[in-house]
Amino acid sequence: MVFLIQLLNGLQLAALLFLLSVGLSVVFGLMRFINLAHGTLFMFGAYLGVACAAAFDSFWAAFFLAPLLVAAGGAALYGILLRHIRRKSPMQQVLVTFGLIFIGFDVARMVWGRFPYSIAEPAVFAGGVQIFGQVYPAYRLFLIALGIAVMAALYLGLEKTRIGAMVRAGVDNRRMAAALGINVERVFFFVFCLGCGLAGLAGVAAAPVFPVFPGMDMPILILALIVVVVGGPGSLKGAMFGSLLVGLADTFGQVVFPEFAAATIYALMAAVLMVRPTGLFPAATVH
Amino acid sequence: MLKTVTRAPDVRDPLAAALVAAAAMAWLFTGDFGKEVLSEVAVFAIFAMSLDLLVGCAGLVSLGHAAFFALGAYAVAAFGVFVNLPMWMAMPLAVAVTAVAAAAAGFFAVRLGGVFFIMMTLAIGQMVYAFFLNSRAFNADDGMAGIGRVDFSFLALDSGEPAVFSAFAVCAAVAVFLLLRMVARSPFGHTLAALRRNEPRLRSLGCPVLRCKLAAFTLAGALAGFAGALAAQHNGFISPDLAFWTVSGEVLVMVIVGGMGSLSGAALGAALVILLRHHLAGLTEFWVFYLGVLFVLMVLFAEGGVAGMLSRLPRKLHRRGGNV
Repeated sequence: MVFLIQLLNGLQLAALLFLLSVGLSVVFGLMRFINLAHGTLFMFGAYLGVACAAAFDSFWAAFFLAPLLVAAGGAALYGILLRHIRRKSPMQQVLVTFGLIFIGFDVARMVWGRFPYSIAEPAVFAGGVQIFGQVYPAYRLFLIALGIAVMAALYLGLEKTRIGAMVRAGVDNRRMAAALGINVERVFFFVFCLGCGLAGLAGVAAAPVFPVFPGMDMPILILALIVVVVGGPGSLKGAMFGSLLVGLADTFGQVVFPEFAAATIYALMAAVLMVRPTGLFPAATVH
Repeated sequence: MLKTVTRAPDVRDPLAAALVAAAAMAWLFTGDFGKEVLSEVAVFAIFAMSLDLLVGCAGLVSLGHAAFFALGAYAVAAFGVFVNLPMWMAMPLAVAVTAVAAAAAGFFAVRLGGVFFIMMTLAIGQMVYAFFLNSRAFNADDGMAGIGRVDFSFLALDSGEPAVFSAFAVCAAVAVFLLLRMVARSPFGHTLAALRRNEPRLRSLGCPVLRCKLAAFTLAGALAGFAGALAAQHNGFISPDLAFWTVSGEVLVMVIVGGMGSLSGAALGAALVILLRHHLAGLTEFWVFYLGVLFVLMVLFAEGGVAGMLSRLPRKLHRRGGNV
């Protein structure tokens, strides 16, 4: 059944998109700040994964180390640059992160060259799995499971823990939350680093499936931005449904009309925005 | 009491005059390579000025402006190569096609405010790139070659000569400058400037905000298409890379380096970035890195760009003169 295979492919893309877009979305909800270099962090997650996998000769070392390294990189980025531009206009902040895409692109070329890399999938998931008489790569099923697991963890963290409540309060009304004694800037820093780590996780998880090369960041960044716009910024639910819609629409679009694959996503986004200009499940009011 | 509004002397028009003079000097005293660079500067000056109408005048930052540049280039190539139209006809048609596309894209984009507009334009740019990259009709990633140039044989001139084409491109850039300056000084231009400063107030005054934004987006897109149509003729070759995000980024760098809100500043930015690229490309393979660093520094520390610095210069000199 081609349909089932494509459905699984779509879910796998949706899982990756969720890992990327949830950080973008919640950070935007908290601080009205869009980090366009988020895709660059995804790319560095993949490259650092390649480096760790080569150094330790183990996929799992890369899988756990690369996201931590990217999160540390995000923390450094915050300390060196982003902290100092919080007073600037949102436009300038976005433009600065756009400049970072240029820098990250050439840094990747300088360090790793222009030829694509890849990581071997872990031995546990190397084979295929029989589903309704079709063989489907086990690693791709693992990606879907990873997306679901991260989603569940984030849901519990956001709904059941103290810091989750602080994040929700900050998204809902930042000034009121600050007046009640929540250090919104520190919450922002925490969420930003977590988002960077998840982008790194998405990168290393994608490395066995997608080629790792300078410029791999842009196509997925565009899809993640569309997820944020379609799903509505600031909410976990928005990132989840947005990822599902975009992942499935992109996958089926490429099968049904290969020449206009890009247009299916665009049409989806346009349709959603015509009906709901702030996305499907906005948690943050958009200004 | 009503105060008569006196206009501060505009220091940027001397800049425009100086740029035209510099172009004339370059045309007179450089060889063929210099004239090729001059054509490139003129084409990108048009492209940058069209973006400045959006960014500097209306405050709409677009990260996908290269989409219209590429559309103009592909449209002129399609009319020239597939339909075999002369360039004099292909060019206006290409501009018209781009204007329609810009209006269609703008219909969705201008509804979104602030950061969402930026993301939408970035998405539009990448989608146009993906379209041309996958389109078999336009030779996918091989691009198209064999695009002719405008015919000046009625003046007994050969537009294949760098001297002729660069003069044509510079004249086109001056014409676009005059057109955009007229737009910026018209009531419509003032509306756009007011839109940048305070959109809610303008809306509550009953101004059709969306329609104004759409008109600006369409005009800027059409002029970017014109620049693309010129670029296609200049190079004789086009590829999907024209729509790539780095091109959108580069033209935004030009506007920001030159100075947002100043048309001649945008043209100056185009000249600076292209000359810098020709120099850096000889020195290092990684000139995109330096471009990114320059971009970040200009955004953070030089809001008015080079044109802003120049416009503050006379006042500084004056103050210093007064102190002595």
